[in-house]
Amino acid sequence: MKALLAALILLLLAQAPARAQQAGDVASDLPAAVAEERISVSSAYRGSVIDVWGVNPDRRGRGDVVVVVRGPDQPATVMRKRRVFGLWVNGDPVRFAQAPSFFAVLSNRPLRQIASPSSIWSLELDPAASAQLESAVPAGADPSEYRAALVRLRGAQGLYLDNDRTGVTMYAGGLFRARVQLPANAPIADYHADTYLFRDGRLISSQRIPIRIARVGIERRIHDLATNYSMIYGILCVMMALAGGWLAAFVFRRS
Amino acid sequence: MIYLPIAEMPVNVLVVLLVSGVVGFVSGLVGVGGGFIMTPALILLGIPSPVAVATGASQIAATSFSGMISLARRKSVDWRMGLLLSIGGVAGSVSGVSLFHRLLEIGQLDLIISLCYIVLLALIGALMLTESIAVINKRPNPSRAIFSRSARGISHQLPFRMRFPRSGLYISVIPPLVLGFFIGALAAIMGVGGGFILAPAMIYLLRMPTNVVIGTSLFQILVVTAFIVLLQASMTHTVDLVLSAILMLGGVIGAQLGARLGARLRGEQIRAILGAILAAWSVKFLFDLVVTPSELFLLGSGA
Repeated sequence: MKALLAALILLLLAQAPARAQQAGDVASDLPAAVAEERISVSSAYRGSVIDVWGVNPDRRGRGDVVVVVRGPDQPATVMRKRRVFGLWVNGDPVRFAQAPSFFAVLSNRPLRQIASPSSIWSLELDPAASAQLESAVPAGADPSEYRAALVRLRGAQGLYLDNDRTGVTMYAGGLFRARVQLPANAPIADYHADTYLFRDGRLISSQRIPIRIARVGIERRIHDLATNYSMIYGILCVMMALAGGWLAAFVFRRS
Repeated sequence: MIYLPIAEMPVNVLVVLLVSGVVGFVSGLVGVGGGFIMTPALILLGIPSPVAVATGASQIAATSFSGMISLARRKSVDWRMGLLLSIGGVAGSVSGVSLFHRLLEIGQLDLIISLCYIVLLALIGALMLTESIAVINKRPNPSRAIFSRSARGISHQLPFRMRFPRSGLYISVIPPLVLGFFIGALAAIMGVGGGFILAPAMIYLLRMPTNVVIGTSLFQILVVTAFIVLLQASMTHTVDLVLSAILMLGGVIGAQLGARLGARLRGEQIRAILGAILAAWSVKFLFDLVVTPSELFLLGSGA
């Protein structure tokens, strides 16, 4: 295990030279990688773990690390129930143009102590900051209530994770590790992990690592058939239903 | 545990088998598709509701086919009546699916579904319960007593009359078509086969003899649900083949066992059981709508 880690660190350091993407004085050269860049979804899939490794280049180990693992942005709607004639019915839906389908933020100590509220907001280090409201909320309602509800409901589904203190583990020599539990209901798509290095509340450097979650084997075949040849797939489903029903009637005829 | 390719979640195979087996048993016992129990049960297991509705339809198709075969052997299917009901049903399910999308857009789908359930289940449950209890208490011919004023119903007066030898009827084709349309629309919106409404309607509105009602309603349900599976698979991509296979295995076995027990029970007892289930179910739906929910917010569909 130690040898593996050492090799990983060497690899990371070798890859460190920057691919400057971000504007300003923030370098995008934080050495970091994920243990698995491809996660395979087979019929035995029950969720996965995303392991983000990285190295703090500061020799004295100063600075704080924040890791964000995000799924692709998708539209979302939130409704608030209201009472009409004694019945609880759904109020008008409030649309979010973009909301991450999966969001996990981890850091080595509470996020509020690492970065200022404004940088948390602008860097989208918080799921609420990433959700962009599209439609107006009903009269007299508070937009932040809907935002909070989105985060709370997704959190209950295990899709928005916010485990502040224990998320990022720091090791000797500047090595750090963030472990994200990816639930099985998280969408199958292209994710990415963003690692940020802060020092004295200021962002020093960052790095973005793509993670691909893809179906393999029979899962992939069924899904491809259902999406690309949906009519054939539908006929197949009906045929299977008829065959199943006929078989049952045949088997149970005697006795 | 197995991962479902369309629902995109893992499920416990044994739990799903058990649930579908119980639902199949009830459906075989009382001659309904069982979708009105299956779809909520699947949603309770965490399956996304569009997938539950669409996949439930394929399972209902299998169960009704297997039930229909056994009944066809006993000559308990009126094919001509079934075909008419199916034509209405296919047309109804097309309009039902478009209404489904419209309601989903404005976020009122669950309210409409709940209200539909409350009204229909309470009405039919109460009707069946009182009628069957009256029969069990040996009152002479209560169904005739209820309808004594119109021994020849509206079906006999409308034009385009047709002979249905197996049901012993000579009635207009319009009521079966309208009934089929209504059931088809309901099936598409509520994710149910509609047998729990169709069967009583055939007895009380079309005056069909009870022994052909179940087989004929199963035939109509089979055609409509098979059509809905095709429609959902090609339009919304929400039919899960793997989930459907597991449901089918549990469902058909349960249905066969249920049908065997059902053959030994008397008709009015079965109807009393079904009536009680339906009435209880409607009270549950009303309760959910009236009680203040602990979480006032809910997530809508993404798009």
